[in-house]
Amino acid sequence: MSNVTFTVEELGLRDITLKNMPRLQRMRDRHFDGKPAICTELPRNITTFWKEKLAKLPDKDDSPELKAGKLYQYVMERKEAIIAQDNLLAGTTTTKPLGVLLYPDLYPLCIWPELETIGTRKKNPFDITPAQIKELNSVIFPYWLDKGTIMEATRKALKESDQECAALQERLVYYLVSKPECISHTIPHYGMVVKRGLADIIREARKEEDKPGKSKEQKDFYRAVQLALQGIITYAGHLADEADRQAGMAQNQERRDELQEISRICRKVPAAKPETFHEALQAIWICKIALHQENANLALSLGRLDQILYDLYAEDIKKGHLTPEKAVELVGCFWLGIADHVPMIPEAGEELFGGSGSNQAITLGGVDRDGKDAVNDLTYVMLKATELLVLRDPNVNARYYPDVNPPEYLQRLCEVNITTKATPCFHNDLAVIDTLKSQGVTEQDARDYGVIGCVEPFSAGRTFGHSGAILFNLTSALERTLFGGKHRLTKDELIGEQTTPAVQMNSFDEFQGALKRQLGWLIDRAVTFNNYCGRTHQQMHPCPMLSALMEGCMEKGQDVLMGGATYNFSGAAMIGLADVVDSVTAIQEFGFPHNGNAMAKMIAAIESDWGEGYRDLYAKVKNSSHKYGTDSPLAKDNAKWLMEFLHNTFQSKEHYRGGKYTVGYWTMTNHAGFGMLTGALPNGRRKGESFASGITPVSGSAPVLPACLNFIAGLDHTKITNGQALNLKFPPTATTTPALLSQTIQGYFLKADRSPGGLQVQFNIMNRQKLQEVTQDPGSPEYRDLLVRVSGYTAYFKDLNPQMQQEIINRAEYDLGTKQEIRYPYYERKEEPEPEPGLVARVVTGLGNIVRYVGNWFGELIHRTPAPIRDFLKMLEDKSTGDFLEGLLHFMEFRLEDPLHLDPEYHKNIAKFQGTYRFQDQKSNIETVVSFADGKMRINPDNPPPADLTVTFQDGDCLRNFLLPSPTPKRDFLKKDIMKSILNHEITVEGNLNLLYKFGYLANHLILHPLP
Amino acid sequence: MTAAAPLIFDIRRYALDDGPGIRSTVFLKGCNLRCLWCHNPESIDPQPEIGFYPRDCINCGDCVEACPVSACQLENPARIDRGKCTRCGDCVKVCPGQALRLLGCFYAVDELLEIIIRDRMFYEVSGGGVTLSGGEPTLFMDYCAAVLGPLQDLGLHTAIQTNGLFDWREFKEKVLPLLDLVMLDVKLADGNLHREYTGRDNALVWANLEGLLKEKPDAALPRIPLIPGFTATKGNLEAISRRLQDLGVRKCALLPYNPTWFSKAESLGKPIDVRLSPHLMTPGEVAACREIFSRAELIIH
Repeated sequence: MSNVTFTVEELGLRDITLKNMPRLQRMRDRHFDGKPAICTELPRNITTFWKEKLAKLPDKDDSPELKAGKLYQYVMERKEAIIAQDNLLAGTTTTKPLGVLLYPDLYPLCIWPELETIGTRKKNPFDITPAQIKELNSVIFPYWLDKGTIMEATRKALKESDQECAALQERLVYYLVSKPECISHTIPHYGMVVKRGLADIIREARKEEDKPGKSKEQKDFYRAVQLALQGIITYAGHLADEADRQAGMAQNQERRDELQEISRICRKVPAAKPETFHEALQAIWICKIALHQENANLALSLGRLDQILYDLYAEDIKKGHLTPEKAVELVGCFWLGIADHVPMIPEAGEELFGGSGSNQAITLGGVDRDGKDAVNDLTYVMLKATELLVLRDPNVNARYYPDVNPPEYLQRLCEVNITTKATPCFHNDLAVIDTLKSQGVTEQDARDYGVIGCVEPFSAGRTFGHSGAILFNLTSALERTLFGGKHRLTKDELIGEQTTPAVQMNSFDEFQGALKRQLGWLIDRAVTFNNYCGRTHQQMHPCPMLSALMEGCMEKGQDVLMGGATYNFSGAAMIGLADVVDSVTAIQEFGFPHNGNAMAKMIAAIESDWGEGYRDLYAKVKNSSHKYGTDSPLAKDNAKWLMEFLHNTFQSKEHYRGGKYTVGYWTMTNHAGFGMLTGALPNGRRKGESFASGITPVSGSAPVLPACLNFIAGLDHTKITNGQALNLKFPPTATTTPALLSQTIQGYFLKADRSPGGLQVQFNIMNRQKLQEVTQDPGSPEYRDLLVRVSGYTAYFKDLNPQMQQEIINRAEYDLGTKQEIRYPYYERKEEPEPEPGLVARVVTGLGNIVRYVGNWFGELIHRTPAPIRDFLKMLEDKSTGDFLEGLLHFMEFRLEDPLHLDPEYHKNIAKFQGTYRFQDQKSNIETVVSFADGKMRINPDNPPPADLTVTFQDGDCLRNFLLPSPTPKRDFLKKDIMKSILNHEITVEGNLNLLYKFGYLANHLILHPLP
Repeated sequence: MTAAAPLIFDIRRYALDDGPGIRSTVFLKGCNLRCLWCHNPESIDPQPEIGFYPRDCINCGDCVEACPVSACQLENPARIDRGKCTRCGDCVKVCPGQALRLLGCFYAVDELLEIIIRDRMFYEVSGGGVTLSGGEPTLFMDYCAAVLGPLQDLGLHTAIQTNGLFDWREFKEKVLPLLDLVMLDVKLADGNLHREYTGRDNALVWANLEGLLKEKPDAALPRIPLIPGFTATKGNLEAISRRLQDLGVRKCALLPYNPTWFSKAESLGKPIDVRLSPHLMTPGEVAACREIFSRAELIIH
């Protein structure tokens, strides 16, 4: 029986528009008018709990699980109950309309240096109040500086032989293990919330706890689940109280009725099993809020809500309690709730993850556990809400099972894609299910997959997949292979595996072997580091709420982090696939078959950034027909062995909670970020250019659309176990119709022998001109909601960093009218970025700012202020003589120690602070030890204690760039680029990074407020 | 008499304008007409030709060194002195940027089928298929038949684009049974003008169209190229529409003028008749042409 009662004409629900949905219109306007604001409620509650509550006996001897249970009960009980204006669903993720969540034991300390500038930074600033700055700086961060974050705890746990794992992570060019930030890439089982209710889960936990034969760990786990879920129920009660309170004050009867209904619902769910569609949405929403207090808001995904909620929807419709219009409105409220928070991103992170929302994927359509068409009316209701609101979160993923799901469904998906320009993306059930089965997932569970984060499909609600565990830069292994174990950006640094430099190699086989060795070594390091981090999480951050809503954990009595879920994986995302395959093919074609110095010429060409002297080789490489994304057998073969090697290597690795490592090809914005930092490559890619995104061919290299689709469809999907993002761009012309788009998808999803084709595809329906217009006028309200697919998730184009914007502008665009990929002029030199203003100019601007800051008595300041300030200002001016660091430190000392200029507020920063820093340059010309203890700052003390943190820098300028705060509209002179500092090997840091964040704050504050 | 082994100068995949659905269109080289406005100037000569594409040239001079007859000169903006060029292709082999390209390659039938079949799924899901075009594909009926047969066996939609100048009996016997769609170009109603602008009389075109309509009416689609000043005149279009009506034709297609082929002619060093417009037709001009056919109750495809 079909679950679709709409006629084909009705599928688009065309009568429902934002005009006749004034509530959604208002809420949407407010959403886009809002600026993200830092919320300190969660870190405050967590910190207070650890500091005050848990410091007492006997709790301090609790197991990590039990502590976590108590923690989240405490957090939920103290969470402020807020009902957003107009909303039909109660509860907010933070106390702000658009909040930035901070998780104190994860990664927030890295914004310490930026606290005073994060509100005014150029890209994606966050509102922050002086009171919040004070609270974070003086209460919350110092506590975690002492107690330790996941990263620092992991660093301490590293064996001597594994120290390089953290070093490689901090070089940024090799891999990024995300566990220090989050473990969120997963889908909780919201079906449990809808089909059972939390009270029933608590009952089960109590029963299990009391069963004989349970270990202490299991008992603690069940206890923790009960406590944490009880906390959620208490929070729901608070929401009901708040609804009552607001109802008492409501100006009109309609809103009063709504609030009374909200109150009724929140007293019932999520404790009890919901009995209406509205109740079920509210129950899921409250649980979603709770889960975000426990785990970072990065890719904690929603699963198959059109399936989970359908029965209640259909029942309500049948009873006449609900109409499709009302359902769209409720889903819209839910969607806007999902979008009510953004992840905390420090400025350097903007380079890599800029513009990212929270990537909460939702999955629609597909087949049910028995393989039958699961598309239902609610699928279309949710698509309508998506089409009306055009939000980056939730990230909408549509499943399509060729020959099982109806063609009009696919056509409707395409229509929504064309209207919204960027969503949903399309997953091929046939290929995904086959892939999951190859990973040991049962057929029924495989059919019940949902998409996590960007594009990663896993059986929903029963897999702890942590699909975003490792971001792996493939091109860094290529670099190491070309240059004998060195990376051009870290210059002469030799870490790990040494292979013969490519110029000395004699055959392609030798090259291939070396590349495999370099890849194998890097994979081993990344996986090892992930395992360490995973074990730290087990000790520091158990997840009772997530575990309660994950199939398998209750049966086993085990937290998700310990391997409680039915299926366990950790996922790696490969960055730079097409560039590496094309480079390998270019080396095969032009590096080896010729005698003599072919390889030397290739290396020289890339070292010259494909300079003028190599135009012939460049033309040959660029025009070669052997490219990833064409019919070239050579390219196909290189993609094949490379992907097989990656798959086999990752899968062979030991996994800390007994699962497998999976390999995917999606890149978020990392192909732009890593690209920025990578030199020219043998495939003709120039220094600093973005890599091709996801699994997509290099722009300009795959001119024939069906050949490109066939190439990707021809890759072995069972070797792509962690999802893929194929990014294509079509201009919005009359030719780009839903019908044609859906035919294109169908032709790509199914091979002629009816075997599965490509796993996934996503489209931006956009042209170059339009995007270029946005970059000219990013502030225009017209563009504030212009949605694009990055490489996996969706983002607002204006939020992306310039490099990422350029990548999307240049991305392969197939004009369906001319059947051609639109080509850009040949040998187009990338425009050199405008030279940065020289130091003198920066200082002049800086001094100008200080003039403004201190008013008219600047002249007086110069002449009459004490020597340290004068020295400091002079030091800013004079790069060659004045050593920046010395000046800074003495100024700091002056402000902290000089009785006349002592700033009591500033002094509080070091009142209880203990820590010793060693700053040195690479040539050991400068060596300064700064020690903080007993409320005193001492420079080069006589008997310095061992350093907690050693910072080695090339010169004063590097340190200045590294330490000083972000560029703001007014303070360009404070430009810094942490990424470049690290990547250019200008700075190396050894020890507790959190100490550096603290020092960064001290330094920045001093420069922003040079006078008391 | 048909030649056995034509050269192919392009295989356009994901074609959307050469019949229903998503298609691959195969362009055979060689034509028995010399239309003044030929949009595919590389399609006329059955022999290989060398095209020069200045945008891709990096001025390396390798072609100058490679040319045995000194036809390539960097100073020559057209690069090749066509009077001297023997089309040996040595310059194409050394050109690093593919600024010099050899137009026209031989494909064995199996080789061509393999390429066509790569996109089979796109044809299947869209109701598309394969179109043979040219040049004039009916100059190579045996080859066409050899290609079309297996495609028909696979259940793919097959089509041909022809100028209508072919031997009816051979066409009917060898090719027509393998075709779902015959796009036959009707250019000029007046025989003298037809001779003047295309080099051949049009009596055979009309006769073949009549035969086609009798034999396989559902497969017939007359197409009228709209060339301003030549075919897109009121008199010519009215005459064609009357004649089509008389033949019982119900639908036809109009092909609006598109001067983008100018650059193709330049790449081959071929002259462009000065009477030809360098502009696209305006929507109004196209609408006026359509109007003539609508009045004759012809459905414009």
